[in-house]
Amino acid sequence: MACAGMMFFWQWMMLKLLRGSAAFLAALLAWAAASASGLVSGFLLPSPMVVFDALVELVRDGSLVRHTAISVQRVLLGYALAVLIALPLALTFSLLPRLKAILEPLLEFLRQIPPLALVPLLILWLGIGEAQKVGIILLACFFPIFLAALGGISQADPKLIEVGHSCHMPPLEILLRIILPASLPAVVIGLRIGLGYSWRALVGAELIASSAGLGYLIVDAENLARTDIVLAGVVVIGVLGLIADMLAKAAIKRLAPWINANAELSFV
Amino acid sequence: MFEARALTKDYSVSGRKVSALSALDLSVPKGAFLTVVGRSGCGKTTLLRLLSGLTRPTSGCLEFDGSRTPRVGYVFQEPRLMPWLNVAQNAGFCIARRLPSVEVERRVEDALCLVGLSQFAEAMPNELSGGMAQRVAIARALVLEPELLLLDEPFGALDAFTRRNLQQQLVQIWQHRAPTIVFVTHDVEEAVVLGQTVAELDQGRLVATHDIPLPYPRDATDPSVNFHRRAVLDRLLKADHVRQSQTHIRRA
Repeated sequence: MACAGMMFFWQWMMLKLLRGSAAFLAALLAWAAASASGLVSGFLLPSPMVVFDALVELVRDGSLVRHTAISVQRVLLGYALAVLIALPLALTFSLLPRLKAILEPLLEFLRQIPPLALVPLLILWLGIGEAQKVGIILLACFFPIFLAALGGISQADPKLIEVGHSCHMPPLEILLRIILPASLPAVVIGLRIGLGYSWRALVGAELIASSAGLGYLIVDAENLARTDIVLAGVVVIGVLGLIADMLAKAAIKRLAPWINANAELSFV
Repeated sequence: MFEARALTKDYSVSGRKVSALSALDLSVPKGAFLTVVGRSGCGKTTLLRLLSGLTRPTSGCLEFDGSRTPRVGYVFQEPRLMPWLNVAQNAGFCIARRLPSVEVERRVEDALCLVGLSQFAEAMPNELSGGMAQRVAIARALVLEPELLLLDEPFGALDAFTRRNLQQQLVQIWQHRAPTIVFVTHDVEEAVVLGQTVAELDQGRLVATHDIPLPYPRDATDPSVNFHRRAVLDRLLKADHVRQSQTHIRRA
């Protein structure tokens, strides 16, 4: 059974890759053509082969794996913390409208501030270690997750809730069996947007102050005038983001098949 | 089954008092099939909400036999199925976690069989047609083994064929399980085809009750059914006419 599931997963991945790779291939060809024709300097835009060589070199000396592992670890930690804070807080707010009324203006204020603007403060408060990076990721993905969950809960269809009332369901059961499942599509959107935000914020944080991670890899290569490594780093970041989103979609399909995992993110 | 005495329900709509139901007197015996007919906004749904306990009367009283609240099954205008649950889980929604799972399973099986959906127990709501979804909603009410079954224009959004089918099914369920049924509709023909008694509501007031002593199953094209349809319709139109001329006089 598990084997069949894996087979299905890989087939699904291959199909996705085939369909999605056409545009990538076209972009790659255009890039190669631009480099080969000599229209752009090889320093400003190294050819795909040079970038590929740089990638191989990074893999061979182990630095790519090391930097990627550090970045992924930071994302996972910051994202998990954001989820653990945002979802219970959203639930608490929905249950206690008065608390929500008191805290909402403050949260609205905080929401307007881009996490990167807080980097100087975070460095002063948390140093330039892991805590600061995790803090930035947390700030970046907290609001999409929190607001989506809050909206999802408050917009649970009152007609479905009335079904619970009509068979005299106690409030806690209505919350657990109707409101929370009904809010799931909105929560899932928040979780996916949050994942994307956390990844972007991480690289930003690593560009500013770091000694490891993919952002550091890029800024270090820039200092050494190695545009090929810069591009290799950019490619890795993009690919990892894509994989994360595909895994998230696959998880939604498996855990909540009634949610249309493809349609819901078309506006992002 | 129940007796309503001077039952009144007022709502406040943007600061103005609106009487949804005023001084309604109605007595319905156990096991009866009552249909309530009237134009939209005449207080039909309010009556059901009062009977189900979803809302409380402003004044007047509602007394049930043996002065205890009966088990109530409620079927809404729309199916209102939980999109994350399959047909069987939706049918058992109101009794799951309250009764032993063996009992839940038995009742769900029975109810789905009764509405003809045994083959679709595993289907998800988004795979169902409108008529099938509404039958799941009826099954969800039936698993409660209701003494009082309330239906609020349940077939209003269905095509004529599906509607006729479900009307016949409902009559069979009533004959088989013998709950007291209060069925609300704005369709006079539907009210006459289904009800033993038709209660005519106009602007929150009971205009008349009309007994229909015809055997089931009834055919809408039958002349005797048509006779009763005309009688009910005439009285409703008259009530409407009287009210309109009264407003004219008041304005003049």
